[in-house]
Amino acid sequence: MITLRAEFKKIKRKKIGLTMCALIGVQFVWLLWSGSRPDENERLQGWIEMLHSLPLVSVIMMPTIMSVLASRLADVEHKGNTYKLLNTLRRPGALYHAKVVCGALFILAISIAQFLFVIALGYARGYAGHPEWKYYGTTFVLNLACCLSLYLLQLLLSMLFFNQMIPLVAGLGGSMLGLILMYVKMYSFLPWGGFLSAAQVNMDWNPETRIIHLYYREYSPVELCAVAMIFIWIVVFYTAGRLLFTKKEA
Amino acid sequence: MPTQNLVETHNLTKQYGKIRCVNAVNMQVPPGAIYGFLGPNGAGKSTTLKMILGLARPTGGSITLFDVPVNEKNRMKLLAQTGSLIESPSYYGHLTGEENLRIIQTLKGCSEKDIDKVLKIVRLQEARGKLVNHYSLGMKQRLGLAAALLGFPKLLILDEPTNGLDPAGIQEMRELICSLPGAYGMTVLVSSHLLSEIDQMADHVGIIRKGELVYQDTLESLHAHSKEQIALRVSHMAIALDLLRQDGIEAVQEGDYLLLPMVDDAYVANLCRQLVTQNISLYRVEKREKSLEDIFLSLTGKESSL
Repeated sequence: MITLRAEFKKIKRKKIGLTMCALIGVQFVWLLWSGSRPDENERLQGWIEMLHSLPLVSVIMMPTIMSVLASRLADVEHKGNTYKLLNTLRRPGALYHAKVVCGALFILAISIAQFLFVIALGYARGYAGHPEWKYYGTTFVLNLACCLSLYLLQLLLSMLFFNQMIPLVAGLGGSMLGLILMYVKMYSFLPWGGFLSAAQVNMDWNPETRIIHLYYREYSPVELCAVAMIFIWIVVFYTAGRLLFTKKEA
Repeated sequence: MPTQNLVETHNLTKQYGKIRCVNAVNMQVPPGAIYGFLGPNGAGKSTTLKMILGLARPTGGSITLFDVPVNEKNRMKLLAQTGSLIESPSYYGHLTGEENLRIIQTLKGCSEKDIDKVLKIVRLQEARGKLVNHYSLGMKQRLGLAAALLGFPKLLILDEPTNGLDPAGIQEMRELICSLPGAYGMTVLVSSHLLSEIDQMADHVGIIRKGELVYQDTLESLHAHSKEQIALRVSHMAIALDLLRQDGIEAVQEGDYLLLPMVDDAYVANLCRQLVTQNISLYRVEKREKSLEDIFLSLTGKESSL
């Protein structure tokens, strides 16, 4: 708790909250713009359609947001050359843990804001019925896990490199890669593809009738493995980051 | 085995690849001392201090702090009684001086009142609300010292604390360091590559050269090494040397001079008379003193940078 309290003191005036609000705001604008005037059929499929759009928005936006968040948290230490001081005050493992928890709290706030916005938007547009809480809840948890795995990866890179352009480029590259992999269906086992692996909604498009049918999917054993990969990435990146932090000599 | 020293290293060694930066250093810092750790650039001072603070892992040897052998389990507990300033000061430039100290105070778990006290000691009260990015280097260095002083630790480890400071800043920092043992009962381990600085601050000195501790004692003992000699320049060196040997004086020839140990004035007068009597021209009679700098250079090697 002491190291976490110090972590929040360190980021005063860094406007991390404001930056996160701005980036998540772009997602809101995107969601507002897509399907802004729904017809009767779209209102009927509104909730499921929203859950279909969400992973697409996340796969494009979240890697960048995570790289910005991790970079901001790590950069305060690089700029002030503070690792050598901090490591004489607290165990390196505790310092790393505080950075992880601090970032995770921001991610939790972002994810809650994202879901509250989606639900509020659905009701405002008059979608039929109510959200399928089971699927919305699962998406929320898996979305959170994906963000955390990407944040841990970005934190690792941000601590490794003094120049924060490198992890930021990696974050942007991850967004692009996630998008590209979506089209070639190779996303399943990569950290940036987690949002798509975890998607709860599939689309069935009939080329003759040109009608899109959305449906909630059940995971096949292979898809379940892809979802499990999200959690494996969390363990891998957390362990690697902690090792890097504790073994690094000042 | 309990010792009297606050810091002790036993055959402390650090090797990077094939290069041995620190080689079997046995440092002993007595309580209440200002221990000047002196050596040319790249001699291994910072690496040794980093190993004491656990910032670098020793390749060999051991460290004892406050009479307790340091290991991974007790390292943080022992370092809680230690303050440090290694190389350049560490700070969060986007925060004020006071906010920086508040972070250190939170992590050290010491009293909030200490912040006011240390700001007063380093004379930064007026700049406490200013962003550290707007501080001068001297102010940042003083803030680093303030951070090290938080909690008023028993041991203060300062690595080249006057680096980059102007003469006034150096003087100020020196005065501050000198006042710490008397005012707060602290033991200070301070490194420098400047002999004059250590001469003015320290009461104990350790000299490191190419990773090896080549001298360690009180500064007083180091000064005692600075022996006086008489230098003679004469026209016939060989005859003069014979004369001195007949009197049982061990003289050595160094360039154009004969160097003999300190003798009394009566002997010098008599020697001069004898030389003149034997038609030897006497050009110069000088009194020479081996300076502290000469001793330092003879210990560290003249090729080393000062």
